[in-house]
Amino acid sequence: MSWLWRALVGPVLWGVLFSVVYGLHGAGCNLGWTRVPVLFTDWHHMAMWLAWGVGLALHVVVLRVVPRGIPPGRSRWLIVAGAWIGLVSSLFTLFPVIATSTCL
Amino acid sequence: MLAGSTLITLLVGVMLILAVRNKGGRASERHWIWGWGLGFTLSVLTVLVGFSLWLGERMLARADDALEVSAHAAQWEWQFTQPGPGGVPVVTRNTLFVPAGASFDVVITSADVIHSFWVPQLGGKMDAVPGHANRHRLRADAPGIYEGLCAEFCGFGHNFMRFTVVAYDPALPMPDMSEAMAAFADNQAGILP
Amino acid sequence: MTFTPPADPRAIAPSEPMVDSLDIAANPPRRALRLHRELDDVWRDEPGWKGFFTSVNHGTIGLRFMVTAFVFFAIGGVLAMLIRAQLATRQGAFLDLDLYNQIFTMHGTIMMFLFAIPMLEGLALWLLPKILGARDMAFPRLSALGYWCYFFGGSVIVLSLVFGVAPDDGWFMYTPLSDRTHSPGVNADVWLLGVTFVEISAMAAAVEITVTILRCRAGGMPLTKMPLMGWYLLGTAVMMLVGFPPLILGSILLEVQRAFDWPFFEVARGGDPLLWAHLFWLFGHPEVYIIFLPAAGALSTIIPILSRTTILGYGAIVAAVAGLVFLSFGLWVHHMFTVGIPHMALAFFSAASALVAVPTAIQIFAWIGTMWMGQVQFRLPMLYIMGFFATFVMGGLTGVMLAMVPFNWQAHDTHFVVAHLHYVLIGGFVFPMLAAVSYWMPLICGRWRVRGLGEAAFWLILIGFHGTFFLMHLTGLLGMPRRIAVYPDNPEWEWLNLISSIFGMITAAGFALFAFDVAMQWLFGRRSWRNPWRAPTLDWAMPLPAPSYNFASLPGPRHGDANALLPLARGEGLLPGAPRGWRETLVVEPGSGRPDHVAVLAHSTSLPLLTSAAIGSFFAAMLSGFYWLAPVGILLTIWAAWKWGDIMGTDRDHPPARVAPDLDLPLHFQRRNTLARTGTLALLLADGTLYASLMFGVGFLTVVAPNWPAPVSGIATLQNVIAALVALAAMALGLVASFRAETARTTPIGGTWALVGLGSGGLALAALAVLAYGLDDPTRHARDALRGVVLGFAVFHGVVASLLALRSLADHRQGRVSATRVGASPIWQLFQMFWLGTSAVSLVLIVAQEVLS
Repeated sequence: MSWLWRALVGPVLWGVLFSVVYGLHGAGCNLGWTRVPVLFTDWHHMAMWLAWGVGLALHVVVLRVVPRGIPPGRSRWLIVAGAWIGLVSSLFTLFPVIATSTCL
Repeated sequence: MLAGSTLITLLVGVMLILAVRNKGGRASERHWIWGWGLGFTLSVLTVLVGFSLWLGERMLARADDALEVSAHAAQWEWQFTQPGPGGVPVVTRNTLFVPAGASFDVVITSADVIHSFWVPQLGGKMDAVPGHANRHRLRADAPGIYEGLCAEFCGFGHNFMRFTVVAYDPALPMPDMSEAMAAFADNQAGILP
Repeated sequence: MTFTPPADPRAIAPSEPMVDSLDIAANPPRRALRLHRELDDVWRDEPGWKGFFTSVNHGTIGLRFMVTAFVFFAIGGVLAMLIRAQLATRQGAFLDLDLYNQIFTMHGTIMMFLFAIPMLEGLALWLLPKILGARDMAFPRLSALGYWCYFFGGSVIVLSLVFGVAPDDGWFMYTPLSDRTHSPGVNADVWLLGVTFVEISAMAAAVEITVTILRCRAGGMPLTKMPLMGWYLLGTAVMMLVGFPPLILGSILLEVQRAFDWPFFEVARGGDPLLWAHLFWLFGHPEVYIIFLPAAGALSTIIPILSRTTILGYGAIVAAVAGLVFLSFGLWVHHMFTVGIPHMALAFFSAASALVAVPTAIQIFAWIGTMWMGQVQFRLPMLYIMGFFATFVMGGLTGVMLAMVPFNWQAHDTHFVVAHLHYVLIGGFVFPMLAAVSYWMPLICGRWRVRGLGEAAFWLILIGFHGTFFLMHLTGLLGMPRRIAVYPDNPEWEWLNLISSIFGMITAAGFALFAFDVAMQWLFGRRSWRNPWRAPTLDWAMPLPAPSYNFASLPGPRHGDANALLPLARGEGLLPGAPRGWRETLVVEPGSGRPDHVAVLAHSTSLPLLTSAAIGSFFAAMLSGFYWLAPVGILLTIWAAWKWGDIMGTDRDHPPARVAPDLDLPLHFQRRNTLARTGTLALLLADGTLYASLMFGVGFLTVVAPNWPAPVSGIATLQNVIAALVALAAMALGLVASFRAETARTTPIGGTWALVGLGSGGLALAALAVLAYGLDDPTRHARDALRGVVLGFAVFHGVVASLLALRSLADHRQGRVSATRVGASPIWQLFQMFWLGTSAVSLVLIVAQEVLS
């Protein structure tokens, strides 16, 4: 049954990443992170971009690593599908971090 | 969006009729699932979400010099604070006076339970949540009287928790606010229930 | 007598075998009738009223769930008709405001909690063992316990309407409207306590559905080939395990606030009403998919069979289900777009709400593709499926529209949303359930339906429904808000409402006719022959109506589909008959379906009824305000729970059971990884979610709520520090003891370790009591109240872990352990680990709060 756990890695990573970014957003707006400048932006944006970027990188790693060693067949297909579901979900649901205003 | 939804409903309906009438044959996963299910749906949604976020951004209350009025909700009435004659802030009950043709921000608060400030003809609604002050940007393009109501169920009197927004022409003299002010003052004095 | 017609040329050959090539020899054929009597003696309910109160059989309990759910549906429907009667004219004088508020609140509450969820539980309980090839659910007594909790809780909720004290704050019970100040009556308590009582049945069902699907399948049926219904219900059950705890936590917190004035949601003392909204919708949105998935499972089962083909894209559908399960937990804030959350956070949830349409669309197109591939037969279930398409597609599209923030701001809390949610729920749940009932009725009652009635009911429901709700979209766009009883100043809404009301009555007539049709079929239908739809799935590999034991011998590699009906009845499958006079079913390894052991299941017993009565006495004491009586209810519940364990072990080793000529398997007493252990893991998943929701509450109030930071705390005393460290050390010692009690079970030392575990549990509880004494006044500030809850959570788990230690001790004393029999210690270990882990996290959290403030 280990293939089932492998298939869930991608979606679980999405769940963690979504919670982390949403949490960072809420914390940043309420704790005034937008007023702390970092490089060309502020600490609030920076924290969310970092989390999103690291998360997407992890998704790519998951896509590469998790199906390894599983023989072709429906189990492997579902593992690959799970990894893609996670990646696309993280891309699609969290892209507002680069698209909308933060705390308005 | 309504037109798009209608089109998609019709499209699915036609597909369903064709599928039912088709007396057996080959169907490919590639076509039905990856083509229609994933490709078509995801493309439509991407465009739609992008557009709605862009639109949403434009509707936000930003830190500029828009007029600020306040709406304080309580079971089951509204207290409005707005500039009166001569720019002096005045408090009224169940009637809000704003100039037409300019954006204004309503700062919405609540004294007891959750209410929601909504003037259907002016735009979206915003809740009045105890402990929070929500800022909501609206604009009345033309002078007139607009009906408003509480959109979040707030108990026994919810049904009648209505109010009026009077958008006046800023070029003309200000409308008479005394009646609404008196309603507030009387209410404070406990004359009205 | 039933007869089997000659082989139908249109029968569906499964595109691939449902079970793997793993081979197990067939048992020798026997006389089917003798085998039937042998099994029926063991499996049937006791006769008469006694059987009514003691049945634990999934067939009986599942049907009872569905029938009860339909009764509540009818009550909710009558309330809907009252609402429509009131709204038909703008000055409706039919109901007064107070009663109107009770009625719409009860309509939503009944339809969600007393109809939809129990209906799908009933379908799952009744169907799963049949379609997966087992004799019963994994935990038959739990099925019955769930039913009685549902029955009692639901009855209290409905009776409150009769006494005029029904909940009246809307079915989502927003605070502060539902707090003691604004709802002083018992109405809100009825909702909080009644719904939580009913939720016990949801959690029970979720645990046993999960375990049944993972471990009670036909021998050799791997997960990757199980019927799609299995995947759908697995997704549903896991979602229930994770989705219900936030609501249960929220209800507990709100009830504690109402009863004992702990201010979780009160702004002045550091609470926040938005916390309730988050917890409610954190449950409330997944709930929609919890309701939709089983219905979609029925569609994925019925559509290919009535199209004489196999489903298109099995793998894609499984992936879509997995996607739905996860994504549906990222949508809840779209119910809160107008509470004043910043645009970026709304955008996350808006995008997720749009994205969730993709897996739904994949399924819709897979179904259409399946119909394209096959030849659609317009039998009655297919009509309801067409009704589903005609309704749900629109509901889904308006759902995407509502996911768009600017549109939502306009349409939120109007009749547009009312129309949308009815399109989704009636389209996505009721139509498929009507299809499912008409599809499985021959298996339920063994009879074929009466001609014509079903079609008439279908058209009445379809026309009535669209007539009621289609124009309601417009009513909402014209600005009519939800939950108002009269609209004297808005004549423009009147004709729309009048049309809705008229068609609403037609819908009601349609449902009544449907019920009449089902009753007619049950009473007067002609006998159906076996497998009337010529389906390949195992649910039809049995005589009609389904016997109490489902399969005389269980399906396996050689008997993997409905064609095996006769060989299975003759005992050629696995584990034929009931040679030991016990209720036995096969337990498999979760992934591959390789047979692992034989589980001995519970016989008829009144224990579930008594247990639910004990739990109910606690709820009754809370509801009536006799808080000092509530501990009695807790003690009664502990006593009943203890009795459950009595029949779980055995004091001697049993010889292996002969499953097939070349396969002997041990009984579950001699296995470590039993159904109970898998069930405990599932339960702890839910428990962990409850704890995570509590942590979310702590974090949310700390960061978002006004009136923080909290006043200076007085808990950093030496006494408290010592008590906390002693408690953690005792829990850790208990964990060691729980493992030693198992490894040393053949020697007297094992019993000693169990005693040590019990003692350390007691010590830890005593230390927690010292901490409770040293807490700040929980009514002072939300932070202090939350600390009280965190401590209460630890105490609760301490009691459970200590009871398990006591059970392990009893196992050792009564000789219920041996080299092969491990007794209760594996379960104790899991709970002890959970207790220690959550307590350690709680301590770190509170220390961090103290240090950082």
